[in-house]
Amino acid sequence: MTEVDFLLKRKNFNVEVKEHFCKGITGIFGPSGSGKTSLLHTIAGLEKPKEGKISINGRVLFDKNEGVNIPVEKRNIGYVFQEGRLFPHMTVEKNLLYGNKRFGSKKISFEKVVEMLNLKHLLNSKPSQISGGERQRTALGRTLLSSPDILLLDEPFSALDAKIRNQIIPFILRIQEKVKIPIMVVSHDLTDLLKLTNKLFLIKNGQCVGHDKYYKLLKDQNALEIFGSAPLVNSITMNVLETNPETGLTLLGWKESSPEVIISCEKSRNGYKPGEEIKIFVDAADIAISLEKSSTITIQNQVQGTITDIIKRGSTLLCIVDAGFRLVVEVTSESQNRLGIRQGSKIWCMFKSVSIDVAG
Amino acid sequence: MEFLGFNEAETQAILLSIKVAVYCSLISLPIALWVGYKMARHDFWGKSIIESLIHLPLVMPPVTTGYLLLLLLGSKSLVGQWLFDTFGIKLAFSFHAAVVASVFVSFPLIVRSIRTAMEMVDTGLEEASRILGVGKIKTFLRVTVPLALPGIISGTILAFARSLGEFGATITFAGNIEGETQTLPLAIYAKMQIPGQENATLRLVIVSIVISFIAMTLSEWFIKKIKHDRG
Repeated sequence: MTEVDFLLKRKNFNVEVKEHFCKGITGIFGPSGSGKTSLLHTIAGLEKPKEGKISINGRVLFDKNEGVNIPVEKRNIGYVFQEGRLFPHMTVEKNLLYGNKRFGSKKISFEKVVEMLNLKHLLNSKPSQISGGERQRTALGRTLLSSPDILLLDEPFSALDAKIRNQIIPFILRIQEKVKIPIMVVSHDLTDLLKLTNKLFLIKNGQCVGHDKYYKLLKDQNALEIFGSAPLVNSITMNVLETNPETGLTLLGWKESSPEVIISCEKSRNGYKPGEEIKIFVDAADIAISLEKSSTITIQNQVQGTITDIIKRGSTLLCIVDAGFRLVVEVTSESQNRLGIRQGSKIWCMFKSVSIDVAG
Repeated sequence: MEFLGFNEAETQAILLSIKVAVYCSLISLPIALWVGYKMARHDFWGKSIIESLIHLPLVMPPVTTGYLLLLLLGSKSLVGQWLFDTFGIKLAFSFHAAVVASVFVSFPLIVRSIRTAMEMVDTGLEEASRILGVGKIKTFLRVTVPLALPGIISGTILAFARSLGEFGATITFAGNIEGETQTLPLAIYAKMQIPGQENATLRLVIVSIVISFIAMTLSEWFIKKIKHDRG
């Protein structure tokens, strides 16, 4: 567990965070200049707080009262920067091995990292010869090989275009699964974060505004304000049931019992194996609500669920639907009145196969 | 060297020049690396004063530098006397004096070049290195120095070349002693004073041009190679 309790003085404002960060991936979200990066910098030791205490798994990294301030190189922290920061004078292989000599037990081997991040064909290249996504994967691998106690990702996507972002996401999820260290991801893009995790830490003007599951934060007006008008995306982990090469469609299911969702092949890579777990993303605004199932419509994905909450967000409404998995649906209040839906209503969520994005 | 038609004194002057220049570069380099790094990365009280002091020999007439060195380190000065009493070293008018004079005169050039090169190195890369568990000194050696290498090489070559051409400070502080402090420029000057030595003078002039040319070409080649390797 990472315990953070500090006060950092900045020119225009103070960053004051008193929080516990548990296992898994925590998404740190806030407007630019809110102190997101300062939070990571302070944990890593790149910025020195005025007061407070920081510890990871009981190991104190900073304690103003006790006079403890472990230097950056001894903190055992993994940090991936926005620009990757690969050493331009070294090959990918040398970059990967750069921090490898760090003390302590190896959490993961070189071969495993190369395989997991698909870097084998790049080992002899120089950073200037590889693409942005490959650079970011190398940076991730280099950090993992330094056997960190925690992984801090600072805007790992912002230098990449949308397509490559979706390709990096499964790598980060795989890291979390295999290495099992806590990961903190900073981003100003809510969609990117929601694709990785539903645990969010919201920060504004250096103060924590919320630290909870995404669905719970939606019920908090302060949190909603931070989300602003960013598109809210549903991120769902599903199992492949079957693939049909002829129609190009992949049939997905959720924990055996629940409704089936069909995704179209255009956006999914080929060669899914039945039983494989994949992550899909649907925008809240891309889902329609219907009172009954319809067979006279082109939309193939029709999922039944119960509305658990209705939240006002500006001029629209957010319906949180329990369909076995959680879905956020954005509708206008006019539609709500017309259909007469309210908390507890049983409804059908409909979304087109082409509106589904797939990680990878 | 005799086969090229140089007599012993001339050969000595050529070898001595190269020796002084090599010593000068080797001594300046580590100090300049440290000073250049401090100047590029840190702000401290009195930084601009130190900067001006380092650069002084660049703008002062070399004779003045030599004279100041004589005042500071000559056998009658406090430091000079201390050196003689403790170590038995008489610095002024010796081979070492020629090296010291060269170091002072060429130091601003090498520091300037290294400092600029280090300022160009992204401090973010040094941060990344330290987060990966590599300490300050190793980070300096594994990241900062290799990335600043083109500037470090050209700075060293500049110091080498400046030392080859050094005249004023050397003749003032080290004298013009054949076989001990008479470097190429001093030998050329000495030859010019004697009628009928025009050919000998010209030969030495050509040698001096050739050495400088080789040094510059080598440095250019090195820098090109480094840049090419980085892709």
